[in-house]
Amino acid sequence: MNNGNIVEITNLKKGYDKGKIKALNGIDIQIRKGEFVSIIGPSGSGKSTLLNMIGALDTADDGLITVAGNDLMLKKDLSDFRSKKIGFIFQLHNLIPNLSVLENVIIPMYGNGYKSSHMSKRAMKLLKYVKLEDKAERKPTELSGGERQRVAIARALANNPSIILADEPTGSLDSKNGKMVLERLKELHEKENVTLIMVTHDMNVAAMAERTIEVLDGQVQT
Amino acid sequence: MSFTKLIAKNPFRNKARLALAVIGIAIGIATIVALGMVTEGLKASVEEQLMTGGADFVVMKNTTSESASGSYSIKDKRIDEISKINGVKQAAGVYTSSRMVDGNQLGFAGIKSKDLNMLGARMIQGNAYADDKNELILGKLAAEKLKKKVGDTVTFNGNQYVVTGIFEVGNKELDSIGALSLEKLQSMDENEGKVDMIYVKINKGADLKTVSKSVEKAYPGELTTIASLEDFQKADDSLQMVETASMAISLLAIIIGGIGIINTMIMSVFERTREIGVFRAVGWKSRRILAMILGESVVLTLLAGMVGIVLGVVGIEVIINLFETPLDLVFTPALALRALGIAVIVGLIGGLYPAIRASRLPPTEALRYE
Repeated sequence: MNNGNIVEITNLKKGYDKGKIKALNGIDIQIRKGEFVSIIGPSGSGKSTLLNMIGALDTADDGLITVAGNDLMLKKDLSDFRSKKIGFIFQLHNLIPNLSVLENVIIPMYGNGYKSSHMSKRAMKLLKYVKLEDKAERKPTELSGGERQRVAIARALANNPSIILADEPTGSLDSKNGKMVLERLKELHEKENVTLIMVTHDMNVAAMAERTIEVLDGQVQT
Repeated sequence: MSFTKLIAKNPFRNKARLALAVIGIAIGIATIVALGMVTEGLKASVEEQLMTGGADFVVMKNTTSESASGSYSIKDKRIDEISKINGVKQAAGVYTSSRMVDGNQLGFAGIKSKDLNMLGARMIQGNAYADDKNELILGKLAAEKLKKKVGDTVTFNGNQYVVTGIFEVGNKELDSIGALSLEKLQSMDENEGKVDMIYVKINKGADLKTVSKSVEKAYPGELTTIASLEDFQKADDSLQMVETASMAISLLAIIIGGIGIINTMIMSVFERTREIGVFRAVGWKSRRILAMILGESVVLTLLAGMVGIVLGVVGIEVIINLFETPLDLVFTPALALRALGIAVIVGLIGGLYPAIRASRLPPTEALRYE
């Protein structure tokens, strides 16, 4: 990590279908620690692929990618990295339907050696942060779309990550709930100094970020 | 909530599928338990018969030797010969047969009246029969079944027999038979001069092993002696056959149950592909997902194991009572452990493939799954 950059990407390439589809075609990005960046671009531009690369959900074919000091091209098992450094927020909240709101927030904490009581305490604290402590025992199906996405934010914060990766976090919400979720994310970034990288195709949402990166045909537009 | 609690909770998400999977495996486990109870019951009955009788050991035809004729009968002149062997106090020939009596199938032991002590029978009413008269005695349970008391008559083979006494041994099988003159029962079957076994009592101070070896030595390849359950199993392969059948059915239950579990767990993994993607995204290692799916599979089969044990115990009791089979069923903790052990094995084997499949799901593909 150089010059306070938490994400360093150089000439990153990723192809699908034996290279016929070039999702990323030589991407170069640097993101500073504590920065709020939005990645925009049309569908199929490669923005979600880029987010998955930063979050180590997928591996690149070529290039360099270092996130929070970890060379993602070298490591094979990146689950530890994802657990400790990354917090994901998906467009569809992806909460586990048979578990309570509290249990959903606990999920990422398994494997960290915490006691059950400690995990519950921490999850409750996070639910308080997203103002859902009174709904801790409810099932996700009993919550509104906005509330579910706030639970997803709490879950993303479970292991105190350095980077929050949000893939269209307001994409399935109405404007009121979308605004509420964005405010929570912005507050999180400002108060906790968390690096926030958000993929969106909504220009109004993107405008909330300190910097916007536009991706088109697998390349960053300058 | 701990990880273990999560594993225990997950199989209950789809209750209908859980119930079907549990029933499928439980039937297999129930069969194992029921057969196990029958096998244990038979063993206990043989042991009881060996222990409760007045005899020290039983002489039977050696059906396993090469010189064996295939017949189970022993010539009754061997009774006298054996009684003269050093250390033998008393030798009693027993011939067994079954007859329809008042519409009931009843087992009979033909034994000389003076040798009744060898069966370990205690007269609780009346007296023993006379060998030369049409008389018999009934076991307590046989008398209850036929609703007969001392002085009543029973008719079979066209002859009337007077019940002179009721006896009790304390063994369900022996208490469910009748006993009468050896010669009369032999002649009924036109098997004069043949017995099925010879009960032997040894002299005080004589060594059981030495005496029984002397008998075997006197009739090499023809006769064998039984003083314990192990001896019985060596001489008689019927228990072994039941045990082999029980093992074969256990294996079948494992295979069928395993296939059922693979199907159930694969369905579960399919439905939860996206969820597994989330687990990977939040940092779960492949082995944690493997452990979760395997754990869920074991929870399911353990539950099926418990249901199967109850089903097996109740089921076989009902069947035994329905057919009025004179057998004391024996349920042991070892049998329950074996059933649960098989259930766990089925869970592990059946859950392995779906678990490996789930643990290898690429996170991005899993998250895209619709």
